[in-house]
Amino acid sequence: MNSIEEQLWNYIDGTSTPQEQQAINVLIETDEEYRHQYEELLALNAEFASIELEEPPMAFTYRVMEAIRTEEAMVPLKASINKNIIRGLFGVFAFIIASVFIYALFTINWSAGSSHAASFNLPDVKLPVSLPNKNILRSTPVLKAFIFFDVVFGLFFFDAYLRKQRAARQL
Amino acid sequence: MQSKLSDIELIEQTLGGNQAAYADLIKRHQRFVFTLAMRFAKSREDAEEIAQDCFVKAYKSLSSFQQQSKFSTWLYSIVYTTAMTFLRKKRVDTTSIDDENVYLQVEEHGSFENNLAEKKSRTFYVNQAISQLLPDDATIITLFYNGEQSLEEIAETLGMEANTVKVKLFRARQRLKEKLEKLLKHEAKELI
Repeated sequence: MNSIEEQLWNYIDGTSTPQEQQAINVLIETDEEYRHQYEELLALNAEFASIELEEPPMAFTYRVMEAIRTEEAMVPLKASINKNIIRGLFGVFAFIIASVFIYALFTINWSAGSSHAASFNLPDVKLPVSLPNKNILRSTPVLKAFIFFDVVFGLFFFDAYLRKQRAARQL
Repeated sequence: MQSKLSDIELIEQTLGGNQAAYADLIKRHQRFVFTLAMRFAKSREDAEEIAQDCFVKAYKSLSSFQQQSKFSTWLYSIVYTTAMTFLRKKRVDTTSIDDENVYLQVEEHGSFENNLAEKKSRTFYVNQAISQLLPDDATIITLFYNGEQSLEEIAETLGMEANTVKVKLFRARQRLKEKLEKLLKHEAKELI
């Protein structure tokens, strides 16, 4: 059961049910004490509604816009030191070096220096120095796989770049 | 001069890259946002920091505003969350601000005593009384009377049930009434 004060506040706010409203209407008309309390709350309600809003400093809007501009200016800087990009670049270079190394290992003529045990002749390494050569590209599955991987990697980074551009535009 | 465009139109222009539209939106809502921040911060510098933070946050997540509620309701919920975070941070540095006496002491030894010379209308005392309320009470009162928010909208802003807000509003009014009576009694004594 609500207190009289609570009922009256609900009545003033217009949140009481039609039955409650009717009952309160009757009480206000017939009960002097009830009416007095109602008038007191009504006056209080008008006073509460007169609460003044605080005034922010004159340069408030300017300061907010400056803060927004500063944050926006920091976005490209953040992107330039994005660890994922650095990791990605490291991965690409590591893959290229590893690929060349593995390719070199497979093409080394290990028997070339075996008959001269005392000498320090370098093994005969055959590297595809005449790249790009269509014949080599067609005939070497390793190179094809390498180029395929590079293309996929490139597309992946291009997609990530486009996504970032779109996100920046939405901000 | 402020724009006559609606909040939604200004938001669309802002999302289209027009920053001046967002400046208009700030000018339209800054007084209320600053007032709400004052209910928590109790100092103009802190309130300005909270209000500024709110507008920056709102700008950054403007594209996520679904337009299912009023922009003001969405903005006030950001103010409430930011102010609560601010209070939690402050609580670590200072004494408990939950203690109502702390507020009373600050007010009685601060602005109220210093402003005895500018005794004014009852509106002045109502403003004094509301500044002595706890942040939650002052926020509900401010949202209801100044923010022209319905109980449902206040509930959305504060993340509560509408019925809970109704009960809290009733209690906040009672406390405000008590504070106001106390202040007026104090004023009467001073005059004698």
